[in-house]
This record gives sequence, structure tokens and C-alpha cells, in this order.
Amino acid sequence: MKLPRLKYGRRLRTSDYIYNFFASITGLTIFNLEFFKQVLIPPYEISEIKKHMDELGVKTFGIVSITGLIIGLVLAMQSQPVMQRFGASDFLPGMVALSVVRELGPVITALIFAGRVSSGIGAELGSMRVTEQIDAMEVSAVNPFKFLVVTRVIATTMILPLLTIYVIVIAIFGGFIAIVITESMSFQYYIDSVIRSIEFGDFIPGVAKTFVFGYIVGIVGSYKGFTAEGGTEGVGRASTTSVVLSSLLILIFDMILVKISLWLWPTLG
Amino acid sequence: MVMADSRIIIVENLVKRFGELTVLDNISFNVNRAENLVVFGRSGQGKSVLLKCIIGLMTPDEGNIFINGQNIRNLSIHELNKLRKNIGFLFQSSALYDSMTVKENLAFPLKRHFPEMTEKEIEEKVKYTLELVSLEEAIDKMPSELSGGMRKRIGLARSIITDPQIMLYDEPTTGLDPITTKEISDLILTLQKRLNMTSIVVTHDLICAEIIADRAIFLKDGKIAYEGSIQEFTNSSDPFLKNFFSHEFIKV
Repeated sequence: MKLPRLKYGRRLRTSDYIYNFFASITGLTIFNLEFFKQVLIPPYEISEIKKHMDELGVKTFGIVSITGLIIGLVLAMQSQPVMQRFGASDFLPGMVALSVVRELGPVITALIFAGRVSSGIGAELGSMRVTEQIDAMEVSAVNPFKFLVVTRVIATTMILPLLTIYVIVIAIFGGFIAIVITESMSFQYYIDSVIRSIEFGDFIPGVAKTFVFGYIVGIVGSYKGFTAEGGTEGVGRASTTSVVLSSLLILIFDMILVKISLWLWPTLG
Repeated sequence: MVMADSRIIIVENLVKRFGELTVLDNISFNVNRAENLVVFGRSGQGKSVLLKCIIGLMTPDEGNIFINGQNIRNLSIHELNKLRKNIGFLFQSSALYDSMTVKENLAFPLKRHFPEMTEKEIEEKVKYTLELVSLEEAIDKMPSELSGGMRKRIGLARSIITDPQIMLYDEPTTGLDPITTKEISDLILTLQKRLNMTSIVVTHDLICAEIIADRAIFLKDGKIAYEGSIQEFTNSSDPFLKNFFSHEFIKV
């Protein structure tokens, strides 16, 4: 795998920025192809994948719990007066649930996950690169791409959908709290309304796209870290650009995947 | 090329370029069995690049490298990994894995190169190797808890744990005080004699070189500018060598 080198150091000209942009796109494409090649070849490093999934779960559990609760609370609080004005308070639980399941749950969880995890992977692999740990691994007959990148990308791809389902549940619960503060509504009634308003077709595309988001977070963080150069400055750059690029790609792919899911399930519209 | 002679490493007309910069320009040399070759040179003269080409971490642009008669440029990754089992590499920064304990760091190359070894055998080998570098007590420590000298020792232990025939040292004593430098150099020499290893030591540290070297070469502007013993280097009337080594003496 030969990745194009980016230009750093001396004062960059506009042509260098254009070169870097295309070199990044080419590099990321080659990196993705390498992933799909390596993921199929044994050894599969299952214990490393499990270890990373454990770590990612522990690392993000707290922050996504708070995020989920706040999404539900704020969504219900914001919508309640509007719904009351139109005499549609009964639809409030359904509206909260639909928004959370279709869009807010997956996207906000993915963005938080990108901020927490992609930067971490970028910094970790970046510092391993600049301190020659990746070279040391190669000398020990280990394919560093497989051991470091493939395992992390599989872990992020698997864990994000689970976290998203968890966030959706917490957010729906958050919505209930916001509603019962001002209105009298039983938990049973709230849950019934939620279940009535969500269809299978709402849930599947919402959660399915988080596999793609999880993959983006893992692959971008790994690419930036794996190709880091230039000492500690390079590590910092790898960490920051990982978050920026993965967040941007999550939003772009969200748009594309929403369009695809509407095409596959026209009833969603 | 088949060899029945004592040359373990043969570097032939090696050229390595980075863009327009030629770092190694037509380098050729041999290292004999159980010999310690020291490679001198100022910073940025391609000393580390030379070692990385020998172990296959970098691909030369031209030339050949033979190790035990095998041209490493013609090897598949599988064959190269098999060859690497016989080569230890001590990195400049020690390159210990931050997320693993000392024990896990040492066990890592063993598990990869010798998958047939049991956990018990691995543990015994780790303990034995730590004894060789006199750091048995560090077994459960994390690399961040170790001093610079200790990290070098652990790095050394990790690189010799597979009982390699060939050792490549990338600036083994950089950043260490003169006493620790001497200790590490003595340790390298002791291990080399004990395990009968062939080695290439990249350095610009004269204390280290004087202890270890059987022979030395000096890289300058991408070429081998001088070749000989340490004595010949330090007693040379060549103005460049005089300047280089007088500075080393002052630093020491």
C-alpha cells in the first residue's frame, strides 16, 4: 500500500493545498480498499476486536447517556408549546420518538462518537507512528494495518449501532420526563403512543446507517493516525483532522443514506 | 547469489531517494559473522534509513541487500517475516508499546514469531530475558513508568528475546548520560558475545562505539567516506574526522 505524501512545513502555496486535498482523497480511497482486502484475510485478531469494543463502550457510555437524555428532554420541551397551540398534544410522544429514531438519535450519537473516538484513534495511531511503534510491530511479523486498523474499524462499526439503540431508548425516556413535568400523562400511555407511532420501516434505516457512520469514524481516525508524520505536531494534526473529516463525512453520508432509504421505503416520506 | 563465506550481511550499490534528495548514494559494504560494525555519520545522513532498508521497513530505489544469502528485495512478505525472526531491531526511541506492560511488550514478538509456544514458556522466556538486562522488577510496569535508560534496556530485551543471529541498533545510547551510555554499551557487547550475534550499530556516540566496534564506516553525503577501526578514525589527520571526533570528546 503506497499512500501519497502530503506537503507540510514551509509556507504552503495554493497549489500545495489543492495537491493535499486530492492526495488526501486518493490516500483515503486506497486506505479503504486496503481495509476490504485485509478484512477478508486471516488471522482475524478476534481478541483485539473484542478488546477495542470493550474500551469503546466504556469510553463513550457516559457521554452518550447524557446526550440521549438531553436530546429527548429538549426535543419535548421545545415542541410541547407548539403542539399545544395546534391542539396536537397527543401527538407529542410520537413526534419525539419519530425524530429520535429517524434522525437525531443516529446522527447526534455518531457526531459525539466521532468527537470522542475518531480523535482518540487518530492520536493513538499517530503517536505510535511517530515513535516507531508501528515499525516495531512490522519487525515482529505483525501486519500493523490488520492489527491496528482493521480491528479498530470493525469495533467502531459494530459498537455504534448498539450505542445508537441505547441513545434512542434514553432519549424517548427523556421526552417522557419533559412532558410529565408540565402535563399529566401516564408512562403507560406515553409508551403506547410511542410504539403506535413507530414502524419497522422507521427503525431499520435509522439504525442501519449507523453501521456506515461507525465505519467512517474508525477508518478516518485510523487513516489520519496511520499516515501521521512530523513528530508531536503531526499527532495533534491527526487528532484534530480526524474529528473534522469524520463529522463532515457523517453528515454527507447521512444525506445520501436518507435519500436511499426514502427510495427503498417510499412510505417513510 | 549463494555464499559459503562468513559474510552475513552484504549491501550492494544501495541507493535510497526521498523525492529529489538522495540519502544513500551507491553504498556497498559487508558484515561478517559475529562482527560488530559501527556506522557513524552526522544527523540526517541516512544512517537510520540504511537500517530500515536492511530490515525491509523501507524499499531501496536501487541495489541489493543479502542476508544469509537471501536477497531481501526478492522475498515475499511471508519469507521476509521468516527472515525477520532472526533479526533484532533496537529502535532509536525504543518503540515500546505504550498500551502494554513490559511483560506484554516482551511477549509480543514471541507470540507472533513462535505461535507454538505455551503461555508458561513465554513467561519463562520473558523473565529470563529481563534477567539478562537486569530489570526483573519492571515486569509489570507500563513503559511510561520507566526512565530513559530502563526503556532502552527493555527495548533491547524485546529485540533479543527471539534469539536473533543479527542485531540492528539505531542509536542505542542517544539521550542517555555518559554512565548509562557505558552501561548500555557494555550490556550490548556482553549480549553480543554471549549470543554470538552479528550486529550493525548506528551511532554518533564515541563512548558507545569504542566499547562495541570491531570495525566502523562513516557516512557522509550519502556515501561511505571512511572505513576502518575506531583508533584509525580518532587518530586520523583528516580535518573532517578530527573535527567530528574532537567535538565528541568535548561532549563526553
